[in-house]
Amino acid sequence: MKVRHKKLLSCLLVVIFLFTMLSGCSSKNTAVNKNTSNNSGAEATKEAEPTATAEANPLAAGIAGNTAPTDEEKAMVNDTLEDSYLGDVFDTKIPNDYSAYPMDATLDVWMPSNSILASVCDDLNNQKTFAQVEKLTGIKINFIVPPLGEETTNFNLMIASGELPDIIVDAGRYTGGIAAGVADGAYMKLNDIIEKDMPNYNAWRNSDEERRVTSVLDDGTIGAVYGLAPYNEWCWFGMLIKQEALDKTGLAVPETIDEWHNFLLACKKAGYDQPLNYGSTYGQIFTGILNGAYNVWDWMYVDKDGKAAWGPAAAGAKDYLTMMQQWNKEGLFNKDWATADFNQRMAEAASPDCAVMMDSPDTMWGYWKQDNNIDFVGALNPVLNKGDKPQQTYKNFKSTGTIAAITTQCDNVEAATAFLDFAFTKKGWEIYNYGSYGDVHLINDKGLPYFPEDGLMYNDPDGQPLSNLIWKYRIHSFANIRDEHNSNPLITAKGSYSGKIREYWTSNTDDSMTMPPVSFTADESSREGELGTILSTLRNEYFAKIVMGQLPVSAYDEFLQKAKTQGLDEFVQLWQTALDRYNAR
Amino acid sequence: MNGRNDRKRKNSLTLDLIRKDFKKNYFAYLLIIPVLAWYIIFCYGPMWGITIAFKNYKPLLGFAASKWVGLKYFEEFFTGPYFFRTIKNTLMLNVWGLAFGFTSPILLALLLNEVRGKVFKKTVQTITYMPHFISLVVIAGMIHIFTQSGGIITQVVDFITGTEHSSLLGYSKMFRPIYTFSGIWQNVGWDSIIYLSAMSSIDPGLYEAAEIDGAGRLRKMWHITLPQIRPTIIILFIFAVGGLMGSSHEKIILLYNSLTYDTADVIASYVYRRGLQEASYSFATAVGLVSAVINFILLWATNKIAKKYSEISIW
Repeated sequence: MKVRHKKLLSCLLVVIFLFTMLSGCSSKNTAVNKNTSNNSGAEATKEAEPTATAEANPLAAGIAGNTAPTDEEKAMVNDTLEDSYLGDVFDTKIPNDYSAYPMDATLDVWMPSNSILASVCDDLNNQKTFAQVEKLTGIKINFIVPPLGEETTNFNLMIASGELPDIIVDAGRYTGGIAAGVADGAYMKLNDIIEKDMPNYNAWRNSDEERRVTSVLDDGTIGAVYGLAPYNEWCWFGMLIKQEALDKTGLAVPETIDEWHNFLLACKKAGYDQPLNYGSTYGQIFTGILNGAYNVWDWMYVDKDGKAAWGPAAAGAKDYLTMMQQWNKEGLFNKDWATADFNQRMAEAASPDCAVMMDSPDTMWGYWKQDNNIDFVGALNPVLNKGDKPQQTYKNFKSTGTIAAITTQCDNVEAATAFLDFAFTKKGWEIYNYGSYGDVHLINDKGLPYFPEDGLMYNDPDGQPLSNLIWKYRIHSFANIRDEHNSNPLITAKGSYSGKIREYWTSNTDDSMTMPPVSFTADESSREGELGTILSTLRNEYFAKIVMGQLPVSAYDEFLQKAKTQGLDEFVQLWQTALDRYNAR
Repeated sequence: MNGRNDRKRKNSLTLDLIRKDFKKNYFAYLLIIPVLAWYIIFCYGPMWGITIAFKNYKPLLGFAASKWVGLKYFEEFFTGPYFFRTIKNTLMLNVWGLAFGFTSPILLALLLNEVRGKVFKKTVQTITYMPHFISLVVIAGMIHIFTQSGGIITQVVDFITGTEHSSLLGYSKMFRPIYTFSGIWQNVGWDSIIYLSAMSSIDPGLYEAAEIDGAGRLRKMWHITLPQIRPTIIILFIFAVGGLMGSSHEKIILLYNSLTYDTADVIASYVYRRGLQEASYSFATAVGLVSAVINFILLWATNKIAKKYSEISIW
């Protein structure tokens, strides 16, 4: 009998133990501690009370051009809202209305992480830059971070639960977009609030037509705060040629399709067995690098008459496919272009078989130059006839892509707007993009922040690679004034020429056919999704098989016929309607 | 009159039996509680969520408040141009799986059962079930490497066919074999464990009797081992047929590309691509419901056939 009981007891214990284990493994993120800060001693700790900008701090005059700031100067920059040392370096003056700060409040902010951020910072609540923003504004942020890779599930569970935080970063995740989020009553309509309580964002948004148009919905509703850049960021994808391949062949950087053809053949003769590395598993098959020469684009674009059109159906498609099929037959592409994943492509890139990559110069600067000491140059997208202007469909319309919404359950709207508005002040621009002063960045004599060579950014004590530090000492992407060109250390690092290549590409190509960021209504969006899946499946299959030579070029006619019967016209019409609405914003 | 009393007595008898059984084996009943609870909470509880297949589901509104749209999503699925292709590919991959993936663990178990050397047997078992513990993403990466141009498997294929291939993952003919045999490599050891355990409970007396009758190794395998594990095989087979319409999209998405769509694009991967553009829960649920219904019919039919011919069945 006794033995029985013992058995029973131990068994029960095991069951209980199992249950606690199962239920205890994911409660970390769900518990949102609403620590309402004690308002009892409002005047208790005013250690670094930011001064209003009425009269400039006398220290501020000695900041610009200073390469060895004193502790006093560092404290002034890092702990106060003084910003008179910052220059007006862009076409538009960055606003600096700090009347809302300091403020005593706590906000819950849902924000997804990413693999890089997670590798340099295990908890967003300890992120250096955000901590500094908290100190400057007085607003405490309690970050709720979904587990890596489960953002979508976590987001939708949060929406379904009806328990919303104060602010949601990456608010575009809402099914049907921001418009649906406002219509369903999840996000606040911000039109009046921005006018009234967000002087900096309001001024910055309205200072430029592109910034204004991309941050509003078709019907004039503003449903979120959009990250807005001071300029159009450079395009980041194109043709990159190994310098040694140019030396070995003795040819100049090719410009036309025919010159490219000759160059690649010459490379093959010179021993580059698979000269052009061209992948398709993550989209390069349709980046417009080669097809753009034939005015054939990957997906939707705006044609010469300003109408929406579907790239794969354009007139030059057959010529493009003929050329591709021939190049493939001549062995000018990497053999496994249709199947190679990223790692395989990078291994191929460093091998002596490859002469040209289609990729990002930032990536290749790491893989080629830093890891293997291979010098390279950027070439413009090929054109059909000598003297034509190269074209591409990358344009970011001065938006950073990060969107923050204030939810309808936000109990302190004033604090939420103040926190988000800070990112659009001069001080916010400095801190978010360049991190803290003195150890991470300094200010040059024009009043523009930079990372000094002996600073933390290029000498990380943990030895993390530069590509990770973009999230360690600064914020790489947020609903803020993102200053990618001057504050991305990968571009500004000594010896890096990826920025130069990107700038060269951007300023020498025509991007007028790029489809702007239009938006769809809920019904349109579901139909667009349905037709889009059908059409992209069709396109990927036919184009890949024709290039491979598994189908003749004449199969293109069959492809076009199929696309038409499967609703191509309706699909284009959906986009046209959305484009008309966008143009009318 | 009489009958009713009889039935009453029977009822009280069975109740009595149950009570007795419970008293005697209450421990076993206790053990089943967590299992039951798990099924009720995680399998039966969420079932009413199936209604979203007939609604335009919006998470914020919840299941109840989302608008009914009737059979809209089913129509979308059945009338899509890729409907037949995805159905066919799903079935074909699973048929390949039944033909090769289902039989190989049985073969492996039979072979291992004949091995006398303890050390050798354990080593083989460990090696064969190791890949089961490797993450799918890593497995797919390995497959990519083995089948790239000049990869180990590609070289073998080149040698056999006498022509040079680029990556085998670019040929639609190759997709089913690659998918199926990599699946076998992954799971054969793991899946054979259940057969080995069934074999270990076979009465050795049977073998001795067969030996006296002059049966050799193969005869013993055929007339004793196989019939003895037949119930296990049949039950697992019924379950396997019940999964004919199901397929997980993860491995497919890691291995397929636009060149192999015509053999590799299955229902799950198509729905996944559709979901990339917008979280179409309702559509995915509708498709899942169709698959589940077909699976259930298959399961039921197989079960019926098995019952008729072998008296072994799930119910």
